[in-house]
Amino acid sequence: MLQVREASVVFPTSDGKSVHALDRVSLDIAPASIVVAVGASGCGKSTLLNAIAGFLPLTEGSIRLDGTPVMRPGGDRGVVFQKDTLLPWASVLDNVALGLRYQGVGKRERAERARELLCMVGLADFGDKPPYELSGGMRQRVGIARALATDPKILLMDEPFGALDSLTRETMQQLLASVWAQTGKQVLFITHSIEEALLLGTTIIVMSPRPGRIVARFEADFVHDFARADDIGPIVSAPRFVELREEIRALIHHPPVSRHGALQ
Amino acid sequence: MTITTDLPLDLAPTIRTRPPRRTAKPVAAEKGTVLIGLATFAILVGLWFAASHFRWTSPLFLPSPAEVVTQFRAVATDGYAEGTLLDHLGSSLWRIGMALAIALVVGIPLGLSMGLNRWMRGIFSVPIDLYWGLPPLAYLPLMIIWLGIGETSKILLLTLSTFAPVCFSAQAGVRSVPVERINAALSLGAKQWQIFTSIILPSALPEILTGFRIAIGAGLSTLVAAELIAARSGLGYMIMSAANFLATDVVFVGLIVIAALAFSLSAGMRWLERRLVPWKGKI
Repeated sequence: MLQVREASVVFPTSDGKSVHALDRVSLDIAPASIVVAVGASGCGKSTLLNAIAGFLPLTEGSIRLDGTPVMRPGGDRGVVFQKDTLLPWASVLDNVALGLRYQGVGKRERAERARELLCMVGLADFGDKPPYELSGGMRQRVGIARALATDPKILLMDEPFGALDSLTRETMQQLLASVWAQTGKQVLFITHSIEEALLLGTTIIVMSPRPGRIVARFEADFVHDFARADDIGPIVSAPRFVELREEIRALIHHPPVSRHGALQ
Repeated sequence: MTITTDLPLDLAPTIRTRPPRRTAKPVAAEKGTVLIGLATFAILVGLWFAASHFRWTSPLFLPSPAEVVTQFRAVATDGYAEGTLLDHLGSSLWRIGMALAIALVVGIPLGLSMGLNRWMRGIFSVPIDLYWGLPPLAYLPLMIIWLGIGETSKILLLTLSTFAPVCFSAQAGVRSVPVERINAALSLGAKQWQIFTSIILPSALPEILTGFRIAIGAGLSTLVAAELIAARSGLGYMIMSAANFLATDVVFVGLIVIAALAFSLSAGMRWLERRLVPWKGKI
C-alpha cells in the first residue's frame, strides 16, 4: 500500500517566484491496482511520480510505502522511464538482470530469472542482443522486465509508451495489462492519453496544472477485459467507456477553478 | 614510368578481396573512403617517384625513393647518430610510453574524482587550466634547469602535455552521464559504489578514450620537438643530427618512421574504441 499525504512540491523559478508543481496531493495505491494519472503538460503528474520514486524531495507532506517513509530512490519501487535508460554496453539479458546484480544475486540465478522475464514480455530470443539493435517498443519491454526483476512492491511508469507509434503502443498497453494480471503489482502509470488511462486504470486520477493537483477520481475496470481482448473495438465503444472519456476530456480542458488561485 | 602505373595496379587485387571479408561488420560507410585514401597515397608516392626521376628539384632537397630505402637499410643496420633506427625508435617510444602511462594512472582517477566532487574540481581545475594553456616547449627550459638534460625532464614534459587531456576528458565523461541512467540504477537498488562501477565508469569510457587519443597526438608532437632541442637519442634527435649534415635522406627516414608511428598509434586507438565501446553513439 502506497500512501501519499498532502504532498506539495514547490520549485523556485528564475524570476524569484515559486511554482507549485504539486499542491497538497493525497493518494492511496492499494495492492493489485493500477492508478493512472492523466492530465495536460505541467499538471504535476511526473512530479508526483518522481517524488514517489525518491528522485525529488517533497516540500511538504509525506509518502509512505507499506508504512515506511520514502526518502530516496530504492529497489522497492521499480521505475519505467519514457526515454529508455538501458545500458548500451550490456546485453539485453544483463540489462534485465542489473537490479539482481546490485542485490548480489548469483550469476546463474539472475540469468535464469532474467530469461523468465524476457519470456513474459515476449523477447525470449533477444537476450544476447545489445539494446541498440532493438526497436523502441522492444526496448521499453526490456525496461519493464528490468523494473520487474527485483520484484518491487510498486511499478512507477512515466509515460512509458509516449514515444512509440500508435500500433506498437496498443501492443505494449496490452502487454502491460497482461503482465499486471500475472504479477498483481500495484502500478502508478502516468499518461496524457485519456484512452490509455481508461484501458489500463483501475483508478484514474485527473490532474490539472498551476497548481498541480488532483481534480477528480474515477474507478474503472476495463483492464481485465483489455488484457484478454483480441480487439479493443468493443471496449472503447462501450457506452460507459465513452461516457468516462468525455467526462475526463471536459475536466482536462476546463478544470474546476482552484481554491487557492494560480501562481503564488 | 612503369613504376608509377604499376603501383595502383599492384594494389588493386588486395583492395578487391578486402570488402567481402569485412561486410559482416557495420563499417560500410568507412569502406568507401579506404579505396580513395589508398589511391591518394599511391598518387603521392607516384609524384615523389616522378619528381626525383625527372630531377624537378635537387636531390639535396628531395632524395629519390631508392636513396631513402637504401638509407633506411643503412640506418636500421649500421645506425646513425650513435644508435640504430631501432635504438632511436626505442628511446622515443619509451619516453612517450612512460609519459602516457603516468598520465593515465594519475589523470583518469583525478579526472573522475573532479567529475564527482565539487571540491576536487575546485582545487585542481585552475592549476591544470593554467599550465595546459602553455605550449610545452615554453617550459621545457625550466624542466631542464630543474631536472637536467636527462630522461626525467623529457618524461615530465611529456607527462604534463598528455596529462591534461586525459584528466579533463575523464571529468567531462563523468559530467556527461545522463541523470536518468543514474536514477534508473538507484531505483534498481544500486549503492553508491555500484553506481560508480556499473554506470559512471562505463558511461565515461568513450570520453576517456577520446582524451587518450588527443593525449597521444599532443605527446607525439611534444616528444619530437623536445628531442630536436635537447636529447642524445630518439627519432627527433636523429633527424636533427642528419639535418646538421644535410643528410636529407636520413631526415626522410626519420619522418617516415614518425608518420608510421603516428598512423599505427591512431589505428590502434580506433581498434581499441571498436573493441571497448562498440556502442558509442548508438544510444
